[in-house]
Amino acid sequence: MSYLEYKVQTIPSGARKILYANWAIALLLTAVACVGFLMLTSVAGGDFDRWAEPQMKRFALGFLVMLAVGMVPIWFWRNMAGLAYLGALGLLILVEFFGTVGMGAQRWIDLGFMRLQPSEVMKISLVMILSAYYDWLPISKVSRPFWVLLPVGLILLPTALVLKQPDLGTAILLVAGGGIVMFCAGVSWWYFIAVVAAGVGLVAMVFSSRGTDWQLLKDYQFRRIDTFLDPSTDPLGAGYHITQSKIALGSGGWTGKGFMQGTQSRLNFLPEKHTDFIFTTLAEEFGFVGGFSLLILYGLIILFCVASAIQNADRFGALLTLGVAATLFLFFSVNMSMVMGLAPVVGVPLPLVSFGGSAMLVLMGAFGLVQSAHIHRPRSR
Amino acid sequence: MTRTPLRPLARILAARRAGENPDIIERQNLAERHEAERDSARARAEGRLLVLGVVFLCAFTMVSLKMSMIAGSDPVEPRAAASGAQILATRADITDRNGRILATNLTTHALYAQPPLMIEPERAARELVKIFPDLQEERLLRQFTGGRKFIWIKRRISPEQQQAVFDIGDPGLLFGPREMRLYPNGQVAAHVLGGAGFGREGVSSAEVIGVAGLEKAMDAELRDPGRGDVPLALSLDLTVQAAVERILEGGMRLMNAKGAAAVLMDINTGEIVSIASLPNFDPNDRPQPLTTGDPGDSPLFNRAVQGVYELGSTYKIFAVAQGIEERLVSRSTMVDIQGPLRWGKHKIRDFRNYGKALSVEDVIVKSSNIGTARIAQMIGTERQQAFLGDLGLLETTPVELIEARGARPLVPKNWSEISTMTISYGHGISASPLHLASAYATLLNGGLKVEPTLLKKDYPVPGPRIISEDTSRQAREMLRQVVTRGTASFGEVAGYRVGGKTGTADKPKSTGGYYEDKVIATFASVFPVDDPQYVLVVTLDEPVETSGQEPRRTAGWTAVPVAAEVIRRVAPLLGLAPSLSLDVETGTPTGITLARN
Repeated sequence: MSYLEYKVQTIPSGARKILYANWAIALLLTAVACVGFLMLTSVAGGDFDRWAEPQMKRFALGFLVMLAVGMVPIWFWRNMAGLAYLGALGLLILVEFFGTVGMGAQRWIDLGFMRLQPSEVMKISLVMILSAYYDWLPISKVSRPFWVLLPVGLILLPTALVLKQPDLGTAILLVAGGGIVMFCAGVSWWYFIAVVAAGVGLVAMVFSSRGTDWQLLKDYQFRRIDTFLDPSTDPLGAGYHITQSKIALGSGGWTGKGFMQGTQSRLNFLPEKHTDFIFTTLAEEFGFVGGFSLLILYGLIILFCVASAIQNADRFGALLTLGVAATLFLFFSVNMSMVMGLAPVVGVPLPLVSFGGSAMLVLMGAFGLVQSAHIHRPRSR
Repeated sequence: MTRTPLRPLARILAARRAGENPDIIERQNLAERHEAERDSARARAEGRLLVLGVVFLCAFTMVSLKMSMIAGSDPVEPRAAASGAQILATRADITDRNGRILATNLTTHALYAQPPLMIEPERAARELVKIFPDLQEERLLRQFTGGRKFIWIKRRISPEQQQAVFDIGDPGLLFGPREMRLYPNGQVAAHVLGGAGFGREGVSSAEVIGVAGLEKAMDAELRDPGRGDVPLALSLDLTVQAAVERILEGGMRLMNAKGAAAVLMDINTGEIVSIASLPNFDPNDRPQPLTTGDPGDSPLFNRAVQGVYELGSTYKIFAVAQGIEERLVSRSTMVDIQGPLRWGKHKIRDFRNYGKALSVEDVIVKSSNIGTARIAQMIGTERQQAFLGDLGLLETTPVELIEARGARPLVPKNWSEISTMTISYGHGISASPLHLASAYATLLNGGLKVEPTLLKKDYPVPGPRIISEDTSRQAREMLRQVVTRGTASFGEVAGYRVGGKTGTADKPKSTGGYYEDKVIATFASVFPVDDPQYVLVVTLDEPVETSGQEPRRTAGWTAVPVAAEVIRRVAPLLGLAPSLSLDVETGTPTGITLARN
């Protein structure tokens, strides 16, 4: 189903391409980023220069990256997929030896002008290689065991490296994102059911062994899991962030306290207030209305991506678009769940809103791929 | 799946014949096949997308539902019901009845080591031994270099020691704050306070738990975070307590006793103003329990509460009071005291021969065993049991000390008539000095039941009536006679009109039978008899008074002078003014010394 099998005459070329970009997505991305600027200004106590300005510069750069990537024909990116994956894998291995550890666990490579987190690059590269793989693979072979194990290997290899860093959040995102691409590519239901059942079974076995003679984990390991799953048992330790952020969310109420009026988030109750926990500031100052609006913006981005993927007859482009949308979805849903105490705290930023360079650039690059797939979609049907 | 060949021979040949390019056919067929495959893939993909969409929607709904739930909830501060909270709550202070501190908390530090952080383990070990001579250098060094991650070195160190350890400058030597219990008065009221130790222990804090005495019995109340800063006020008076302990110690030495106990109780409320047991200890540094010998000889043993002794003739007043209450006898009824009184193979004798008969009052004053036994015979076993039970002499005392729960009075298994007779003069029945003080308070305060307590009472709670007010008054008057003309003549304290009863009981041998030369001497007293305020019980363990030609062991020579000295010194502290009363015979005031101009 590859692209080359279609007539290409109607695909725009040259500078005219820019007119055919998916401007709805671009606009929505800008809107989300603006929410981010607003919040970063508020968190800094009205200080625009501290976080908001560099974030704006980065977004501008990211926007240009998106357009530039979008201009490049999608078949080029498909051909680059393997290289990108190998490159990201190489960086992950490199960072294992030469990387810098900071702020918990994530490791980066200092490029001079910015810090590059190979795990961020890997998220997109993985989606690319899987899309390219299923583009290449004849549909009849998609559910054959060998051809299923191959992409599973492609997912688990970087996951293992990321887990070793140790960065649980990114590892979860990698597995889930890869799994969604495989699911969309049409791998048999039974594989997913088997994996889910095995996971549930394993967890159930570990927990049912608690207190018996054949206990699979030590008691202190169980206690760690308990605190991880329910941080409220340790409100001054592991549960500190969650407790504070829940207070912030609750004190925001339905309409919030107003811009720059949030006390909980601004008075340094939350150490990560400008990165992973920025959603609390939004919810405190603009209440449920503000939080829900952001959710709607994200939802619209995903909706447009899915619409673009459905229109796209090119399998690589469609899978890639879905993969990027899934990654975005995983990002914000995990982050929001974490902030609201629905999920354990696993260091995942709120995409485009949290302060952070490489995550934003990589995400904008990924949306460049979406744009490229959109611009260069076959039109001859 | 039937596949159409890309180059069907028939069409190719036909095309060739027609002069067309056969490749076109192949391309057409290829395109068709691709379209068919793509259509099936698309159908499947759309199904997958639908599933994915549902999953996304679910996640969306969940996140927004949770958001609305949080938004709709009232903002609440997290409660401090954390796992560490119990450990953080400080223990309430303990004060005496006037608010003076008996027990408080002091922040010290514990010293521990984290060998992985250490720079010079050898030097650290060497320097540590200089600061703490009880540590062993080789052992420390072995611990520091043995691959362990964490080692406790000292549980409590003083600020000076902390500074010295700090000056070693090794980053692997660390301090954890330790709230510890401090008893600023040292040995005063040691047995009441008991002591405290560490329970669950973490690096940054440790739980302080009571290990004995009131600290253990009231542990939950003292640790209750709901108390806030309100200290626990005891009924003890620190000044009186210190005075009683000092006098008792002097008395114990003077009388060559190996132990002593005293209980001073408010006669109406049952509040214990002072309770002492010697030898004592420092609750800041509790000694180890004895591993050999009689645990009753340990300084940790609270003789006033745990010591269950035969208290001898002090019990006689119970039988006589009951006899009067039941209208079996009056004070002037003559009782046959010819001895020995035989009952089966048992013989009851008096200490001296007092003649053929004595009035009931003189039975108390002279302390006649035979007379009391005769009255007890009139009362009978059941009524005696009921009365002693009413006085609280058959059960443990409800006082707020952990030791009191184990101090159950010893009574005969088979309470026969001979038991009734011996019990009436305090033999064959054992109780603690605290039991005796409570029973005396009940008997002498007008007849209302008194429960001993160590907690300050804001107002008296009258107990049920045990005997009539009149009987109570008569009992006090008889006890006064014991001091003025009976066995307790050394008990007279000018101006305070002491009444009381002596009791001297031979100590039982552990092998059975009684020692000839080892006694428990007890004086149970009340003062002032005409307006009773306090009950004082003084008990000496194995006293011998040696000023005379023969060693004297009776309570009248040992316990009574000590008790009198206690009253002499303590009564003014209790706010009792000596009363003036004119001597009936000479018409001069007694109780004070007139200044001669």
